[in-house]
Amino acid sequence: MLMSVELMSDHLTKTLNQVRNDLLAGFSDADRESYLYLVNWLRKSDIASHALQVGDTAPDFLLPDAHGRLVSSEHLRGEGPLVVSFYRGGWCPFCNAELRALQAAKFEFDRLKANLVVLSPETRDLPRQLKRQLNLDLTMLADVDHGVAISYGVLFRVPEETKAHYAGQGYDFGHRHGSTEWMLPIPATFVIDQDGVVRSSFVEPDFTIRQEPSDTLATVRLLAGSQAGDVSASDQ
Amino acid sequence: MPIANGASAPRVMLHRKHACSIVTGIGNGEHPMELHQVRYFLALANTLNFTRAAEMCNVTQPALTKGVQKLEQELGGQLIYRERQLTHLTDLGKAVLPMLERALASTEAVRRRAREFQQKDVAPLAIGLAPSISASLVLEPIAEIRKFVPGLHVELREEPTSRLVELLLEGEVNVALVGDLDDTPERIDHWALFEERYVAFLAPSHELADLPAIGIEALREAIILDRSNCDVAPKFHRLLFPDAPPHHNHRSCRDLHLQHLAAAGFGIVLAPEHMPRLPSLKALPIEGDPVWREVRLLAVQGRRYSPALDAFVKVARLRDWSLHQSHIEATGMSA
Repeated sequence: MLMSVELMSDHLTKTLNQVRNDLLAGFSDADRESYLYLVNWLRKSDIASHALQVGDTAPDFLLPDAHGRLVSSEHLRGEGPLVVSFYRGGWCPFCNAELRALQAAKFEFDRLKANLVVLSPETRDLPRQLKRQLNLDLTMLADVDHGVAISYGVLFRVPEETKAHYAGQGYDFGHRHGSTEWMLPIPATFVIDQDGVVRSSFVEPDFTIRQEPSDTLATVRLLAGSQAGDVSASDQ
Repeated sequence: MPIANGASAPRVMLHRKHACSIVTGIGNGEHPMELHQVRYFLALANTLNFTRAAEMCNVTQPALTKGVQKLEQELGGQLIYRERQLTHLTDLGKAVLPMLERALASTEAVRRRAREFQQKDVAPLAIGLAPSISASLVLEPIAEIRKFVPGLHVELREEPTSRLVELLLEGEVNVALVGDLDDTPERIDHWALFEERYVAFLAPSHELADLPAIGIEALREAIILDRSNCDVAPKFHRLLFPDAPPHHNHRSCRDLHLQHLAAAGFGIVLAPEHMPRLPSLKALPIEGDPVWREVRLLAVQGRRYSPALDAFVKVARLRDWSLHQSHIEATGMSA
């Protein structure tokens, strides 16, 4: 699937950090206040310190993709480096920017024989809609009931103040997730090797900051090189 | 899964560059704290007793208390009231309990799946279907999970919705698909899967069969085949036949019987759009699509999900159910 010319050019010329600055400039006062509140709350509660770290074994998962087909992490990591990226949902412009950037870099992940999956807690037709809307051919998985976000240590319960702000904008996470409680993942990107061991971990309580795909690719390249090395060593 | 250590193959060790990095060193290879905390809280919610919960989790009581406190800190409030003689859940505790139970169940299901796969265990899955839900709806989801749950043994059971709820609570049925729900039964999780309209099935020789759609007035004059104990009947009466009941000359409790009667020219069957029909029947929309219903998935709150059930619920909640209407669209009905 091809990206639109506009999106392609955006991501050929801009880093995610530059897109972030553009998006932040468009914040209303209420957006900014809510943003600062949530980031501060997340830092204070130190939720990110519970996330998987380099050297941890990542729990395997079996999740449906946007079309309801099951995808096994065990199978994917058997094929090469596995990149697992948590995003908050199709309603979040920073997530959409990240997904577009990942799409733009997809050919490079493919070339390195790395599997890239993006996970959000959104259910029903929401991942399908987003895929169509952003013209993505990424493997979009639904972390139904947040089981993987919990096991990766990146889940939090949305505080009341933040809930009020998002509800005011018309976002109903209960409905989007199929759950009575409002929970979200902290955006995070993990690179996992063939044994299921975390080789790099980017977990950021400031939801406007994402790992640049070029940084993720740097880890994948090292890992792909070392795995290729393992193969040639075992051949000898 | 072997955890790579210093003695294994060469490893790439990377540390995050970003200033907000939380990866400050090499992890210990254990499961993240978060899962333990959830497990401790669920044990406590189950027993309402710190000593027994700690025993259940195989940890000391101070470790359990600390874990639950951490979870409270992260969730932003107290989950448990601790009083001398009485331990009970706070409103927040009650609110997050079902969600945490489901989330933990889904992670455990993945681990158990791997074990069961190796042991070639039988994986039973009993699916309840309300009378207006055809088995054709669940075939593709079952085929999808069978790829990952090799010992899958499926049982399909047709019962009225109220009976399905009882069977769910008794553990005789693991998951159910039903139509409209009047009340939300207690201790049952439910998710809306899709909405569908009711259409008319009739023989091609029926006098109304050549119209693009059947008008409501024409339906009021026509013979409608009566489904005994039909759960949608009150809705039909309210929306289509508010002044006088429909002309019901013939009846059956089985959909197939009604379809045979319709095919032989005895009347019209009103059926949900997804319902497979005899090749000798034609499906026509009702003018203005006045009757719709929602198809829902039901499962018991807080019950341990087997890997098969976990996979089924997940696939069902993501699936594009609109694909089921394609056979009707193919016959030229308006969408």
